[in-house]
Amino acid sequence: MTLIEFVNLLASALLLAGIYAVMSVGMTVIYGVMKIVNLAHAGFMMLGAYLALELFERFRIDPILAALLVFPVMFVVGRVLHWLLVRRLPTSDQPTLASLLLMFGLWLVLQNLGYFIWGNADRSIYTSHTLSLLRFGAVTISTVRLVVFGAAVACMVALHLILNHTWFGRSVRALIQNRYAGQIVGVDDQKTASITFGLGIGFAGLAGALLASLYSFNPDFGRPFLIRAFVIIVLGGLESVSGVAIGAFVLAFVETFGILFVPAGYQLALSYGLLVVVLIFLPGGVAALTAKVRRLA
Amino acid sequence: MADAKPKPPILEVERLTKYFGGLAAVKDVSFEVREGQIFGFIGPNGAGKTTLFSIIAGALKPSSGKVRSRGRDITALKPFQLVQAGIARTHQIVRPFREMTVLENVKLASHFGRKNVTSDSAAEEHAMQILTWFGMETFAQKSASILSVGLQKRLEITRAMATEPDLLLCDEICGGLTHVETAAMLDWLRRIRDRGTTVMYVEHDVKAITAVCDRILVLNYGRKLSEGAPDHIQQDPAVIEAYLGHPPGRRQEG
Repeated sequence: MTLIEFVNLLASALLLAGIYAVMSVGMTVIYGVMKIVNLAHAGFMMLGAYLALELFERFRIDPILAALLVFPVMFVVGRVLHWLLVRRLPTSDQPTLASLLLMFGLWLVLQNLGYFIWGNADRSIYTSHTLSLLRFGAVTISTVRLVVFGAAVACMVALHLILNHTWFGRSVRALIQNRYAGQIVGVDDQKTASITFGLGIGFAGLAGALLASLYSFNPDFGRPFLIRAFVIIVLGGLESVSGVAIGAFVLAFVETFGILFVPAGYQLALSYGLLVVVLIFLPGGVAALTAKVRRLA
Repeated sequence: MADAKPKPPILEVERLTKYFGGLAAVKDVSFEVREGQIFGFIGPNGAGKTTLFSIIAGALKPSSGKVRSRGRDITALKPFQLVQAGIARTHQIVRPFREMTVLENVKLASHFGRKNVTSDSAAEEHAMQILTWFGMETFAQKSASILSVGLQKRLEITRAMATEPDLLLCDEICGGLTHVETAAMLDWLRRIRDRGTTVMYVEHDVKAITAVCDRILVLNYGRKLSEGAPDHIQQDPAVIEAYLGHPPGRRQEG
């Protein structure tokens, strides 16, 4: 491998990592606060993708801007679903069968709603930028990928700031660390859970809308991404937002550089392999590792 | 004169009953906690202490009966609503926010508690005041996870007090502590009472309870067995019998 090839691969791994992070972070915050594994995540990504398509086709809104507009819409969708369904689930410190079934059922409903409204044809968003490339010396980067990466990183930074510098964010972190302790310092756990669910769904929609600029999609969109999101949040330690960022980078690098050694068709096998390795050697994910280091320091 | 009616008690429990299946864990228990007291309950294992405590703290719903505070019905309130109503609690097993510093732990209570300190710097100042009052200021910047068990228990109380409660519910705060630590902890309870917060205290350790409480409720098989000042309780034959069994020679038939 020449140095130029290496740098090119490095750049594409980095760009992939950004979108992977945004795609997984919604699952992490929902799991952290509510201990619900959002199996419907892919369904909300699909909705986000189609919403972006509609905004682009009907109102000629730029797809990246459309993705940012999808976020508040999906946030509201998330809060309504929380009020209608999710808050009725039994509260628990572990994922419950009831929550898994609810979210899986929700995914099926969303998928079929997608088939009902948009049919089963593959769609894509095609703009004048879609095929444009930027050259930085010997490194070539797709303009759209770079913009998507920028939007993804901006959203991750915004979430990080919210979690660390607002009272809402602190209540989220408090509930993630210990729900009972959160309640006895006076945190309204239901309200925080509702907003968090909205944020999680909002991020799923946003990720789907951003991905819609890169890939074609149909109502079954998101399934392979759901599996990758699982790998990433397990790598990150399930409940840590910075862990998600690290997990996203690890997976993106493994997948990107993996094509040097195994055929591209085995990418998902690589993801699963990574998941197995992590579960065996680092079951607490990166977060457990950093916590250990911090305690020793 | 308008003082004919006394102020309603800070906690009033009326005919509280809780069934688990067909079994009554708590049956028809009534009592009042007056302001400025340390009020304790004791009882042998399985007497219903924890169930009664959990109902008052909003963690369990009673099968029947009412809990009032200053005349207001608080039976159906959730834990965070109780905090807003001026009733804070500690857990038997300490529950710090492990990934936060001691100061951040207390700061959350300053904001989300009854005081509702909004600005970041004011919350920090308020939290520091409470930490200093409890002699914890040197640990403020330390991670909560590295504190010893004794200090974590003190953090648990400090954090509860930062919500500025009128009534503090303490669940077995001396469990797992050494004699010296226990004595210190009981002293903190007295200081909290003298500072103006009424304390309700559940403990396994009869010695600790009788040492610190102004008034004690004794439970047995989910029912109220006795109530009164520590001296009264210690001499009540029914209480002695419940703890030590029947004196020889007076064993009842069947």
